[in-house]
Amino acid sequence: MTLETAARAFAVSSGREEQDGATTLQRQQRLNRFLAGVERRALRFAEIAVRDRDDAMDIVQDAMIKLAQKYADKPETEWTPLFYRIVQNGIRDWHRRQAVRNRVMSWFGRGKDDESDYDPVAEAPDPLARRPEETVQTDGALDELGAALGRLPTRQREAFMLRTFEGLDVAGTATAMGISAGSVKTHYSRAVHSLRAALGEHYGE
Amino acid sequence: MNEEDDDKLVRRARALFDSSVDELDAERLSKLNRARRRALEELDHGPAFGSWTRLLPAGGAAAAAVLVALIVLRTDEVAIDVPMAPAAAEMDFELLIDEDSFEMLEDLEFYSWMELTDLEAPRQQS
Repeated sequence: MTLETAARAFAVSSGREEQDGATTLQRQQRLNRFLAGVERRALRFAEIAVRDRDDAMDIVQDAMIKLAQKYADKPETEWTPLFYRIVQNGIRDWHRRQAVRNRVMSWFGRGKDDESDYDPVAEAPDPLARRPEETVQTDGALDELGAALGRLPTRQREAFMLRTFEGLDVAGTATAMGISAGSVKTHYSRAVHSLRAALGEHYGE
Repeated sequence: MNEEDDDKLVRRARALFDSSVDELDAERLSKLNRARRRALEELDHGPAFGSWTRLLPAGGAAAAAVLVALIVLRTDEVAIDVPMAPAAAEMDFELLIDEDSFEMLEDLEFYSWMELTDLEAPRQQS
């Protein structure tokens, strides 16, 4: 290899490294912007779904990491439904684990002394995962909504929350839920109908 | 009428949700910020691993090409090692540099006619 050829090869290599560095920085900036834009809503979304602040935070953090690891190369337009799909999966896993835990608890049973101290109303999680001091300050309408959402079947709740709270369109909701667009429409429509029945005709007024 | 009520409900629900998002406390915002930074750190690790795995097929193809090249070269070497091969090559070379062979090339038409005649002669005799 002549000196000239070596110099040319070095220049090309250096240029490529600089380009790669710029690309990584751009990707970081884009992802940072995206996550900063969705993280608050995603956290509230998860809090309402699992009714536990710490677990909701874990779910959102895991979703952020998975998006960065697996889907950062996807077009930015696909990030929102993908991100909420990961969040949804995290929420479903959480519910599965809770179901198993409850089953195990019921097998072992509780002692009579424990039962006498246990107040199911006091122990019941707040539908919107707030602390007691916050609950006092909050509009009653939010409590009503959270309770009504909690009573909906899972798919209906997911479809309603993704469409209404996160503003995803039908296609995006379908991607996030892993179901067809037709099913999204059905679940969403039933959710709205059920919520209207639960909250009353004049809820929105 | 129903659609209007549905729209009102959806708007109200969205407004409530939005206000609850706006009221997130500093502690949770700080945790979200840390979570985001942690995710962005993973971005540095993710692509490196991803590009490495993406290069696997290309690397495999290159390795296969090298292997094939080695086999072919080795095969050639084996062919040269055959005892008859140098002798045959030497003989061909001698034929080529022989003066008669040039004359033969010049009279190629004549020799091909002669060959045909030799081939047909026995048939005519039989």
